Amino acid sequence: MSSDQNLSADVVIVGSGVAGSSIANELARAGISVIVLEAGPRVDRQHFVDNFRNLENKPSYQGPFPSTPWAVHPPNQMTPNQYLHTSGPNAEAYQQVYLRMMGGTTWHWAGCAWRYLPSDFELKTRYGQGRDWALKYDDLEPFYYQAEVMMGVCGPDPKVEDLGSPRQQPYPMEALPISYAAQQFRKLINEKTPYRVVHEPQARNTRPYDGRPTCEGHNNCMPICPIGAMYNGGYSVYHAEAAGAKFVPNAVVYKIERDSANKKVTAVHYYDPDKGSHRVTGKYFVIAAHCIETAKLLLVSADEQSPDGIANSSGHVGRNMMDHTGVQVTFISGDKALWPGRGPLETNVIDNFRDGDWRGDRGAYLVHMVDDNQVDFATQLAISKGYVGKDLEDQIRYLASHTVRLFSHNEALPDPDNRLTLSKTHKDALGIPHPDVYYKLPEYTVRSCEHTRGLFKDLIGLMHGTDEQWTPGYFPQDHPSGSTIMGVDPKDSVVDGHCRTHDHENLFIASSSVFSTVGTGNITLTVAALALRVADTLKKELLHA
Amino acid sequence: MTKDRHCPLVNLHASSPNAMRLNRLMRMSRRDTLMTGMAGMGVLAVGNAVAADPTTSTDPELERFMTVSARLTDRASLDPRIGQALYERILQSGPERKAQLSKLAALLESGTYENASAFAKAAEQADPVFKDVIHDIMTGWYRGVADGKVVVYRSALMFDVTKDAIYPKTYAAGGPFYWTTQPPEVDKPTGAPALSPSKFDVEPT
Repeated sequence: MSSDQNLSADVVIVGSGVAGSSIANELARAGISVIVLEAGPRVDRQHFVDNFRNLENKPSYQGPFPSTPWAVHPPNQMTPNQYLHTSGPNAEAYQQVYLRMMGGTTWHWAGCAWRYLPSDFELKTRYGQGRDWALKYDDLEPFYYQAEVMMGVCGPDPKVEDLGSPRQQPYPMEALPISYAAQQFRKLINEKTPYRVVHEPQARNTRPYDGRPTCEGHNNCMPICPIGAMYNGGYSVYHAEAAGAKFVPNAVVYKIERDSANKKVTAVHYYDPDKGSHRVTGKYFVIAAHCIETAKLLLVSADEQSPDGIANSSGHVGRNMMDHTGVQVTFISGDKALWPGRGPLETNVIDNFRDGDWRGDRGAYLVHMVDDNQVDFATQLAISKGYVGKDLEDQIRYLASHTVRLFSHNEALPDPDNRLTLSKTHKDALGIPHPDVYYKLPEYTVRSCEHTRGLFKDLIGLMHGTDEQWTPGYFPQDHPSGSTIMGVDPKDSVVDGHCRTHDHENLFIASSSVFSTVGTGNITLTVAALALRVADTLKKELLHA
Repeated sequence: MTKDRHCPLVNLHASSPNAMRLNRLMRMSRRDTLMTGMAGMGVLAVGNAVAADPTTSTDPELERFMTVSARLTDRASLDPRIGQALYERILQSGPERKAQLSKLAALLESGTYENASAFAKAAEQADPVFKDVIHDIMTGWYRGVADGKVVVYRSALMFDVTKDAIYPKTYAAGGPFYWTTQPPEVDKPTGAPALSPSKFDVEPT
């Protein structure tokens, strides 16, 4: 593309993940012209499957997805990191990974498609903690359903298993039948504890849906579903393109231009990989570039008009960074064989700690019994213990059939001191600064994690477990949120209840960056619902203007 | 299975304005993808220059490696094509490995060992360095990995050992919802480790 080519559309979207691509699809189908600028390359599933099969470190979710020099993403969750530089007392707890490529990070999600609970939107009012969102659950309910239909979500009948988020419509697909291992886990929890195990709602086909096949249980949702039975943002890209939306890969947006009053965005500028600069004009603009990259872009675009960055009169861009902090343990069950890893990866959850009056004191959490194929882990463990020959083979069978992994999502709170800034020392190939994040776990989250550790110890005891291996410290669950926080007051928030920036009337943000609290369920369905609500607002304004 | 969705621009190389550069960056290098097709095809896919049928190989060191491998796996037969690829890759892991493998073979030839454990125990007693060599051989056959590289995936013996219960990731063939059925029970093994224990570091995600 030559630099003199003028690109223009009714709506210009930055980022092609689930948020950007689903907005593009909705608008294009309504006859609105759309350009989506994606920093990373266009990619296809099969070569990630090949990369996975040839990867020595199979649990590395980022491993099969190398990044490009012009759209770098974190290579792993190691601190120090080659891209996302974290610091502070809990630096390692914010070492998020994500993908910068067409379709976004849902290339390697597990398909967990939770709605938030009504209380998650009113944490301040109900429990005196954190903030309230500038919208209620009921405002989002129709868009949750729209997102579930778009992705193809399977889940339980609320009359049989109520997950706490009221529904006007049943799930688009019936719940996924859980594995033998999950059945045994559920039986144990139901019979021996006051808690329960529920079906996880999943963007995974339990029947052919949207031109994609039924799940065959390859147990590889992360890092890559080999058959496309699990939704990812790439499918919304295909739909949006078929409806006429224009997607530009390898287009790294670095500047957001405004009018002289600084009230309206007039254009965005992007670099191609050779640093040729291009200007794209439009009537409306949506930044849908992931929590970390969205805040980074707003800060990078600082100029004389907005010296602290775009949409940042509150000073809250890059602040209030949240995540689901994880507690994780792996152990060997002393009970009957479970053989985890038959079927999809994450299918069942203990949901008793998603809400309760104790939320005034400690964060909520949920627990996954991860249904992960443990054969490779068992083999490495047995070799390290010194087994050979027939004894090694017996150990592999025993450990692979008895290894149990539990992990949690523990709720964070928005703290302005947990902050993303631009690196002063590291830049990418285009000269754009890397992101730095300072992170200190809120005491609220620490207390939640302590409670989880107690629960896990009880469960290990119930399963007569041995060989406990606790993941040291706290680890990130890759659900970053809060960096352009939503609120009613422009003095302490970046966007309003419709995800429109307080400062610029035609600039919207569609990302987990707008979350005011982070709840416990995986964030993607809420990101998609918010994005579809943005699309609805844009349709109303553009079609009825 | 439902026909895959049409994707108008699946070819990364053709669709990118930076085709050559992307090709280099997005594909894992040859060094990372040794024998890419082998697991899928079950057929030797290593470099063309290598003799296609190592059973007729005249390399006596390779034959000795196969004999050591058979003893350490307690298996009467092993795939010679995989053996050749593993042997070549293990040699890449260090200049001393060739001589060490030869000495380990000499130890086996000099005595009688009733099983893998007896031989491994004797080897570590004879020279502690053999523990690492045996780890390489076990990791090669059971994980399909040598010198930190995947030599075979689906054909790794860890999947042969567990094939009555579970599929290698990305190769499930039981049909939808096969996972609801009860897999086989496994009794607690009674065997003891042959080698002294090593530190086990879980790699980062």
